Amino acid sequence: MGKMKKKFSGFVARFFKKKRTRIGIYGPPNAGKTTLANRIARDWTGDALGPVSEIPHETRRARKKEDIIISGANGSTVTIDIVDTPGVTTKVDYHEFLEFGMEKDEAIIRAREATEGVAEAMHWLREDINGVIYMLDSSLDPFMQVNIMMIGIIEARNLPVIIVANKIDLPDAAPGRIRSAFPQHPVVAISGLDGRNVEDLYETMLEYFG
Amino acid sequence: MPHKCTKCGREYKDGSTEILKGCASCGNKKFLYVKEDQLNRDVLEEKTLQEIAVESKEEVLEVIEPKKKTKEVEMYDRVETIRIVSPGSYELNLEKMAESDERIVSVGREGSYIIDLMSMTKDEPKKKGRKK
Repeated sequence: MGKMKKKFSGFVARFFKKKRTRIGIYGPPNAGKTTLANRIARDWTGDALGPVSEIPHETRRARKKEDIIISGANGSTVTIDIVDTPGVTTKVDYHEFLEFGMEKDEAIIRAREATEGVAEAMHWLREDINGVIYMLDSSLDPFMQVNIMMIGIIEARNLPVIIVANKIDLPDAAPGRIRSAFPQHPVVAISGLDGRNVEDLYETMLEYFG
Repeated sequence: MPHKCTKCGREYKDGSTEILKGCASCGNKKFLYVKEDQLNRDVLEEKTLQEIAVESKEEVLEVIEPKKKTKEVEMYDRVETIRIVSPGSYELNLEKMAESDERIVSVGREGSYIIDLMSMTKDEPKKKGRKK
């Protein structure tokens, strides 16, 4: 019955929504973008987007999942496309991958692909994205140049943005730091890994992207 | 053996670190190394220190301002979107990337550029009505 209702509301939404909202998940490498994208896709479509890894730059091509219908507690829905983007950074160096036991040749190829991936992520941001989920690892310092710069670029484009303070399952997570770093935007603290607090994120997405 | 300022002729003792800041009298940054016995040759023979320099074949030393370390800042003033520092090591200019689809890649330290013409031939992005 619930499933039927979901299907029906999706059917209605597809007719009455003029345009779907295309949400890009952005953030530095290893923030957990793909983990969250997979969770969103799994929660609402039963599908997944891509593999995850502890080695930075696992996602080197943007991946897209269309027609994800998210419904809130009050019955409102939003239809979105999720774009999982490669981690954005200002420096890519293959030496970083060697530490994970990767062979040199393989690491150099990964570095090149990661660089292309950043260019692709920026391309999406310029042309096809209507809203941004900016992901940060809450166990790390949020005041990194790349974060300040990216938030600035997103603001300059007038895109609605939700900042996700991820990895709150880690013992040294400090989502408060992220809140004070970006007080101008909504910040939702979650664990993409164990699913803690993702309901809050869905409600916030309905509010800002609906 | 001492140095003399090529502009005002002020003498500085050999090994003086004072000259590194430029001449204390006139601020000039060029100094000539003169032999002790020829220290006053310029005055006695009414020659400029430039002429003495040519005759004595000593090189005029110039104090060069140390280069400022502003690598990070410079990076974002550059024209390229991607800079290949060495194979497998890249610097990415996100702000330039956010502005246009042009890929300008610089290779190594010599400043040779690769420009992706294909990415420039695409049509202007369509103007889309943005949702609120």
